[in-house]
Amino acid sequence: MDSDHRENGDSTHNHVSKKPKLSAFISEEEIRREFSHHQHGIARINNGSFGSCPTSIIAAQKEWQLRFLQQPDDFYFNHLRKGLLESRTVVKELINADYVDEVSLIDNATTAAAIVLQQIGRAFAQGKFQKGDAVVMLHCAFQSVKKSIQAYVTQSGGSVIEVQLTFPLNSKEEIVSEFRKGLEKGKSNGRHVRLAIIDHITSMPCVVVPVAELVKICRQEGVDQVFVDAAHAIGSVPVDVKEIGADFYVSNLHKWFFCPPSVAFLYCRNSPLSSEVHHPVVSHEYGNGLAIESSWIGTRDYSSQLVIPSVLEFVNRFEDGIEGIMTRNHDNVVQMGEMLAESWGTNLGAPPDMCASMIMVGLPSRLCITSEKDTERLRSYLRVHHGIEVPLHYQAPTDVECAPRDKDGLITGYARISHQVYNSFDDYFKFRDAINQLVEQRRTCKMLFTE
Amino acid sequence: MESSPLPHLQNESNGNHHHVSKKSKPSLISESDLRLEFSHHDPSIARINNGSFGSCPASVSAAQRHWQLQYLRQPDYFYFNLLQPAILRSRTLIKDLVNADHVDEISLVDNATTAAAIVLQQTAWAFTEGRFKRGDAVVMLHYAYGAVKKSIHAYVCRAGGQVIEVPLPFPVNSNEEIVDEFRRALMRGKANGSRVRLAVIDHITSMPSVVIPVKELVKICREEGVDQVFVDAAHAIGCTDVDMKEIGADFYTSNLHKWFFCPPSVAFLYSRKTLETSAELHHPVVSHEYGNGLAIESGWIGTRDYSAQLVVPDAIEFTNRFEGGIEGIKKRNHGGVVEMGKMLASAWGTNLGTPPKMCASLIMVGLPVSLGISSDSDALKLRTHLREKFGVEVPIYYRQPKDEEVDPITGYARISYQVYNTINDYYKLRDAINQLVSDGFTCALLSK
Repeated sequence: MDSDHRENGDSTHNHVSKKPKLSAFISEEEIRREFSHHQHGIARINNGSFGSCPTSIIAAQKEWQLRFLQQPDDFYFNHLRKGLLESRTVVKELINADYVDEVSLIDNATTAAAIVLQQIGRAFAQGKFQKGDAVVMLHCAFQSVKKSIQAYVTQSGGSVIEVQLTFPLNSKEEIVSEFRKGLEKGKSNGRHVRLAIIDHITSMPCVVVPVAELVKICRQEGVDQVFVDAAHAIGSVPVDVKEIGADFYVSNLHKWFFCPPSVAFLYCRNSPLSSEVHHPVVSHEYGNGLAIESSWIGTRDYSSQLVIPSVLEFVNRFEDGIEGIMTRNHDNVVQMGEMLAESWGTNLGAPPDMCASMIMVGLPSRLCITSEKDTERLRSYLRVHHGIEVPLHYQAPTDVECAPRDKDGLITGYARISHQVYNSFDDYFKFRDAINQLVEQRRTCKMLFTE
Repeated sequence: MESSPLPHLQNESNGNHHHVSKKSKPSLISESDLRLEFSHHDPSIARINNGSFGSCPASVSAAQRHWQLQYLRQPDYFYFNLLQPAILRSRTLIKDLVNADHVDEISLVDNATTAAAIVLQQTAWAFTEGRFKRGDAVVMLHYAYGAVKKSIHAYVCRAGGQVIEVPLPFPVNSNEEIVDEFRRALMRGKANGSRVRLAVIDHITSMPSVVIPVKELVKICREEGVDQVFVDAAHAIGCTDVDMKEIGADFYTSNLHKWFFCPPSVAFLYSRKTLETSAELHHPVVSHEYGNGLAIESGWIGTRDYSAQLVVPDAIEFTNRFEGGIEGIKKRNHGGVVEMGKMLASAWGTNLGTPPKMCASLIMVGLPVSLGISSDSDALKLRTHLREKFGVEVPIYYRQPKDEEVDPITGYARISYQVYNTINDYYKLRDAINQLVSDGFTCALLSK
């Protein structure tokens, strides 16, 4: 039997248990149709970077867009605000916020970071904070957030403390202890820690961070404000903003919550400082609170923010709604991660309970990954020659003694695989086989042609 | 006599960048094709407000959908291989359109509101860092757009600057009236040893709508030692002549979705490169490209839909289906709106708010005094009434009368003219107002 599953033309079934025909839940066939616009022949195992959007939501979005084009004044005066309020209300319920005015809709987590950090920058500029007061963040915070910190905090005289996370990881405690150390450093020499930025799910390498615990520690240690950058969280892990207890919490709805590009919610817990938080694009609604400011930042296409109620309908077509989707994504990505690690003789970057719908899988040392350039090369190669889309991470070994190894050497590269409802096991078999082929052919990253 | 049936651009720097000129000769758009291009417009509405939200033909929307689909089908490939070259292509075409020297000078942003935030953020930093002194001034027109005014107050006042408004007369009869007021405002700004750090000048004011002699005002700013000039030209591109070198401002922004047939939303922000330095402008949404120049920063501000920025070539192609291209469209729009404005003023026994030479494709037409428009709220209510009861979409401006005026005209309709308009749109408005007058209608009758 030809075990070559690389031609992904014919789909094979996801190994999730099939529902009996009488079920009202979305069928396999319907799921395929909902994502039929995804490029055929591509093993799309990178839902984390850009997310995905089903055709029925795209259609709902087009309806909103058309309404604007048909009669934009009527849209603006009679439909827009109502639609946005409905979306915000859906989100408020989803995340267990107390008040709908704590929920603002913005483009993405990058915008949220600018909003929160501009507020910090202003406080430094106005002398409310002492020069040298600290902002604490994780070393693996998303690159754009780091730049935002540079632009708004460092420029204004604040200092930045990076908390190193070991990777691979074995337990939450490793994160907690490093974080405590970071806070101590921030408070040294009589400084204040004015803001802690904590990822809920880090991007690269990808792990689920125990945010509720870290927020508690922040409160105990007198940190002024906590901003949770949870770009990946909604639709990936349960999100309860009261439980987590942060001052600011942002998540992108276009990553794991089936919204079109792009829309995120920024939760801002009601506080006396709420009036200091502003959208950087100032328009008519300036001063009316962030949520209202964000609802009009000049003429643009707000349609991706308006389809959130339709998305709720979409996820409820699945068994157990978004909870069910999250559980099945998690189980499947763990199963596939373990399958790959076993086939390649490598490891997982974190235990399953520190993963959601993404997991880091060690790549064979024989690939000789010694830099980010190598991973970029390998990623391009996989895209161009095998139709596989998967982000790769270079992890320099810190302590060679304890560093992870396979039978041939040090493991220095990891693939971040994801699972979303449109994936089938074939996607991962394709990836498995492509890597095994490279190893068998004794090809290293540096030898790969990417054209 | 016109020797060639080909629409040709009158933009001098056209050269052969234009990919359209490489194609086989397209014929001019027919009436029925034109109607098809705008068939998505609500047919029950006389749409005479192109100024607020613009319009987008079906073929450009289709081009946009194509880009959106490309992204959705394989977003990583799109991000790594397609997006930046397409943005560069749009920027290059705009650079040629507006006669900028260098494509680095052209950034694409969502809208003029965003451009204002970018420019003003830079000004605010200068105050914060002590380069500008507390009390140094920013000068703006009284008729500056509401959102921009708020932005100036938010960024400048918060950082310690003072704001000076230039009052403008309306109705207005000549450029001299505007120039005089502007000079006076600059003097105020320079009083007590302060400096005017930034002048924010509209190219075409929004409400009431007037074409401002920007080139002359920029020259005065240079003479009077104003540090920087920012022209808010939200309406200008596709509406009036836009030439960066002619106008000579430091910063210039215009929305392409208003009069240049792009979908919502896309604007360009021009930032003049000088020999000494480029102003340090940054996009407020900081991402990976921070520090690589505004144009590059704006090319990636996180995951979002950039497709409106990618169809500038298609919008240009669309304008080239008209006789004279965008120049021809501008001329005919101007001719059309002036003719309709005069028709309405004559039918209502009122006046125009500006002479024709001070308007482009928008014009202010006085409304009959008997309508009793006595506040901004009345103006909005009348507008809603016209929409709901007569199927006419037109913005109404309330003009506060001066004390000594007798029977002043206090309400003006800002009518627009774009390629999809027909004379019936304006007859519909004419008749609606005439009916209201003959019914003895006043705004006081409209409930909340």
